[in-house]
Amino acid sequence: MWRGDPSINAYVDRWVAPRLLRHYGITLRTIDGQGPAIVNQLVVEREARARGSADLVWLNGETFNNLRKESLLYGPWAHRLPAAKYVDSLSTIIMRDFEQPTNGFESPWGRVQFTLIYDSARLPAPPRTVAGLRDWIRDNPGRFTHDQQFTGTTFLKSVLYAENGGAQSFQGGFSKKAYDRGSRRLWAWLEGVHPYFWRRGATYPAGVADLHRLFANGEVDFTMSYNENEVITKVRQGVLPATSRALVLRDGSIANTHFVGIPYNSPNPAGAMVVANFLLSAEAQLEKLRPEVWADGTVLDVRKLPPEAARRFGAIDADPRGVPRDTLRRYEVPEVAPEYTERIARDWKARIRANTK
Amino acid sequence: MSALASEMGRHRGSRSGLGLLAAALVAAPVVVGIAYSVLGALGVVGPGADGISLRHILAVLANSATWRGLLWTLWIALASTLAATILAMTAAAVFRAERGVDRFARVVAVLPLAVPHVVAALCGLLVLSQSGLLARLAFAANLQVSPADMPALTHDRYGVGLILSLTWKEFPFLALIAFSVIARAGAAMEETARSLGAGALQTFQVAVLPNLWRGLLPSMTAVFAFVAGNFEAAALLAPSSPLALPLLTMERFTDSALSVRPEAFALVLLGMAVSLCGVAAHEWAAHKAEA
Repeated sequence: MWRGDPSINAYVDRWVAPRLLRHYGITLRTIDGQGPAIVNQLVVEREARARGSADLVWLNGETFNNLRKESLLYGPWAHRLPAAKYVDSLSTIIMRDFEQPTNGFESPWGRVQFTLIYDSARLPAPPRTVAGLRDWIRDNPGRFTHDQQFTGTTFLKSVLYAENGGAQSFQGGFSKKAYDRGSRRLWAWLEGVHPYFWRRGATYPAGVADLHRLFANGEVDFTMSYNENEVITKVRQGVLPATSRALVLRDGSIANTHFVGIPYNSPNPAGAMVVANFLLSAEAQLEKLRPEVWADGTVLDVRKLPPEAARRFGAIDADPRGVPRDTLRRYEVPEVAPEYTERIARDWKARIRANTK
Repeated sequence: MSALASEMGRHRGSRSGLGLLAAALVAAPVVVGIAYSVLGALGVVGPGADGISLRHILAVLANSATWRGLLWTLWIALASTLAATILAMTAAAVFRAERGVDRFARVVAVLPLAVPHVVAALCGLLVLSQSGLLARLAFAANLQVSPADMPALTHDRYGVGLILSLTWKEFPFLALIAFSVIARAGAAMEETARSLGAGALQTFQVAVLPNLWRGLLPSMTAVFAFVAGNFEAAALLAPSSPLALPLLTMERFTDSALSVRPEAFALVLLGMAVSLCGVAAHEWAAHKAEA
């Protein structure tokens, strides 16, 4: 799993692991690794015909796509979990991973939505649309940027949707024509604003953690997050200023689900399934949802749960810094085929990032 | 006489045989790594392998980002190595006596050796960034600066912050070598030059510098090779364009498209070639120094 967020680490190490040991006798050991590193690891293990080093991996999107293409995942298994019947199976956000059917090769764990983060003390009336953002950036040169990794790419995807009439233009599998047409508008938008980015767009922060640092230090006025509630946890940790707020762009907030999968060479797939089942339990999903823990959305359909559990979900306080649930739902848009993400990331590096004046 | 000579010859032969064995043991993992990288770059092994082909290597060589990254990394390596060397030589020359202050200075000069490179780079970031310690000191001194008014010393296209951090880390290493070179050389040559009427600067140039230079050459090469391949400091302080060679290599290795992995291996070999050029330059310079 990705070990870059202390609140997630605390949830897994200090809440999930002791309960797995106590209830099931399972000792959970977490290893750092995410995305392409997992793919690399599994390919090399297959080449060396080595014993698997991981039983369960945290993944979604392109990683899932790549692992499936290379047949590196064990399965199908997720539909066999007892807790699977409580999953919100009507939600396309949960049942499809970047438009691909999961087919039981991965089990949902949590869901999140993309938001910008701003400081209400510095910026009482922030722009709420992509067009408004463009004007704001031009009027406030050097006060906005995005990172080079996953979160930044999601921001670019948000602009792509906004400039092309919404996510519908890109749904239904990857289309080179749609990509070429759509990305042209994206590059035009970027070429219009990136001279007004931080450092005149000559350099970009490596990851979202670096962007948070620039924001907290007052070098830029916006940061962003893949998780709509990250602003809550980061403010509680003291990383972001107390007056930070999340902002959902009216053009659409990309929502997606993250999953757990079992590598093809897992030494203990049965144990992995027990862990995945526990992660789907109402108790674990509820704890994960709490703002002082992780504030990660649940993949369960609360209406399917027994009434006592459902009530506890409803009782979680909405933190005023976060975005109200109905606003999030109203503007949620799905992810589209992973090839769009890969292409945008690659072409951005070649066309925009390399273009230093 | 000849029996003694052949005895000595055999002894030297077995010593150099042992030396060769030791070198081979140390080099073995590197050789394995190079062999795997060559096969990986050709698309034979590793993630993304799809049959032997030169196209990955050609793609890397044809990409302008490769050459910009390579040149930028060379700039950083040369600048840091040169700066650290000049500082080390100066420190060794200035503090070569045995008075208390000299010994104290020699100890202080070597202290940063204990700091890991990534920590040094992080400190560089915390101090030199536009909202870092320097900026806060300036603000506290009532200079009314905003981050945008501060000079961009980190993530800048000349790598000033990166060079400063790396120089700060490499200087103690080179200084340590320089101090021991001077100590070993002893005062004899200097005294001779002085007694022949040479001034302080001439003495340094003629009696101290050549020895120092020759003694530092191997360490300078090591520093150059290390800095050229260093990832952590570049990850913290280098700009996103031109993208330093180690960062470019890592990007290819962690690209979401597996098919790009062989390019990462090709870039690794390119990085190796840079270090080898450094070693070759050292051999040439050492030869010249001998002559």
